[in-house]
Amino acid sequence: MTTKPDRRASRLCTVADAVDQIAPGMVVGIGGFINSSHPMLIVREIIRRGLRDLTIVGAASAGLETDMLIASGCVKRVISTYVGGEALAPIGPAFRAAAESGKLDVFELDEALFYAGLRAAAQRLPFNPWKGGVGTSIPEVNPALKTFEDPISGETLIAVPAFNIDVAFFHAAHSDIYGNVQYVGHGWGDRAIWAASDRSYVQVEKIITNDDVRREPLKTLIPGATGVIRAPFGAHPFASPGFYVEDRKIIGDYVQAATRWAKDGDFSALAAFLDRFVREPADHYEYLERVGLRQLLGLHEY
Amino acid sequence: MKDPASTGEIVATVLARDLVDGDMVNIGANLAVARAGALLAHLTHGPNMTVVMGMSKAALLNEPELPEFELLTDHRASRWAEAYYRHDEHLANIKFRRDSVFFAGAMQVDPFGNSNLIGIGSDYGRLKVRGPGAIGTCNGTALYGRFYIVLNAHSTNTLVEKCDFISAVGFGRGEQTREALKLPGPGPKLCVTPLCVMDFEPSSKRMRLVSVHPGYTVQDVIARTGFELIIPDHVPQTALPGDRELAVLRQRIDVRGNLRKVMLRPAR
Repeated sequence: MTTKPDRRASRLCTVADAVDQIAPGMVVGIGGFINSSHPMLIVREIIRRGLRDLTIVGAASAGLETDMLIASGCVKRVISTYVGGEALAPIGPAFRAAAESGKLDVFELDEALFYAGLRAAAQRLPFNPWKGGVGTSIPEVNPALKTFEDPISGETLIAVPAFNIDVAFFHAAHSDIYGNVQYVGHGWGDRAIWAASDRSYVQVEKIITNDDVRREPLKTLIPGATGVIRAPFGAHPFASPGFYVEDRKIIGDYVQAATRWAKDGDFSALAAFLDRFVREPADHYEYLERVGLRQLLGLHEY
Repeated sequence: MKDPASTGEIVATVLARDLVDGDMVNIGANLAVARAGALLAHLTHGPNMTVVMGMSKAALLNEPELPEFELLTDHRASRWAEAYYRHDEHLANIKFRRDSVFFAGAMQVDPFGNSNLIGIGSDYGRLKVRGPGAIGTCNGTALYGRFYIVLNAHSTNTLVEKCDFISAVGFGRGEQTREALKLPGPGPKLCVTPLCVMDFEPSSKRMRLVSVHPGYTVQDVIARTGFELIIPDHVPQTALPGDRELAVLRQRIDVRGNLRKVMLRPAR
């Protein structure tokens, strides 16, 4: 006999609950885009726990959150077309050093091929075909991509294998306690990463009521995250559309420290950065206190 | 007296004059000159252009001033959006972009306009310099309309006989032509650098000098190019921006003067 639940269950959870879902060697999705909307409570917790051998499916263009995971030794393989900070760091320093030394397995591809792999997973197909990339070195240097002859037209296409994500993490504007996640703006490629994942955990700036969600159902880009984490300023030092811009001071501190390690092998500045902002703060609020109220509220100024 | 046009302003004007009303242009990250060229065309002679800025379809004609956001992810640019393209849809739904204009940067370009953003080195497993990666260029150059190669440096290291890797196909090489590969887009139209403007000779598809920017000679271009460039009998100086173009660039598009900081002129 099954027991009948007496109410709809809340999906609110803690960062620890969410990161408990990751086992070494898993395929982990991280949403956002370059300098915006990365789930930083999750990223910091992964580093704190010293999780290893992860395959990170970053955003189509990932940011320095993935670089921090690489610098902290958590990553075996990256599936993303880019890891960097645009003008703040044209290429992620740890990504560059790890790729050049052969220590990091880079899944070479472009953005359309990236979404083809996510689409294959979402469609429960072994691969999705794509044309762009035929004639380039990409299928030559990435043996996971196979060129094949289309049985309909006979032309050459690329088969992109499904990126089946074990668990994916995002940062968004709002959600109700049932995991109906709404964004300010377009939500980057988060929905495609969500669709390719078995489970999903979303940090949000603010928990809203189900009534509020139902006012604009079209804004619900993730209709039913596995878990929701309340995380004001949770994308810091990256931007959160509609809430704050990126924190160039702290991103700059990271880039400087990571560049020193990547170029001269001197880990001390990076170790100090990670201690101060990742390892020592007991929780997200202590992290925000270390950043400082004046610094945080200054990022509100649009 | 007004400042003479900078190299960035000259090249932005070259790009603008090559765009026509009705073109759809894709403005991505980190190509300030391409951004300025596309916006200059839109504001001077292309009111029916569709301007795709990052992930927004942007309505810009009535804006007195278009501040340049340094980062593609700056949400403040969405103030101009009349539609959003979710990034995954933007990459997957490409039929509506089949004639759209794309701008590609590169670390290396060969005589046929094939280019490399993967990295420098002979062994992929141990690159001497890891590049940023193909990002969106592999797709945009294959499946959209004509594209422009925009280089912020012109040297024998950037214009090379053979790229170490190819992340975006220009006209292909040898048997592997665009036609043989069945790439639907028409390929590169121009390659612009801090020294000159180049196009592609129609039968051989090899790069050909079109014009040289003020202050440089054909010999300067030849000396700084790592492959044999087709040199026509008559090579003019690159046309300068007109007064109205310079005013629109400086007062509406590039108010911070960023076009003076990119495409720096190499020492003679």
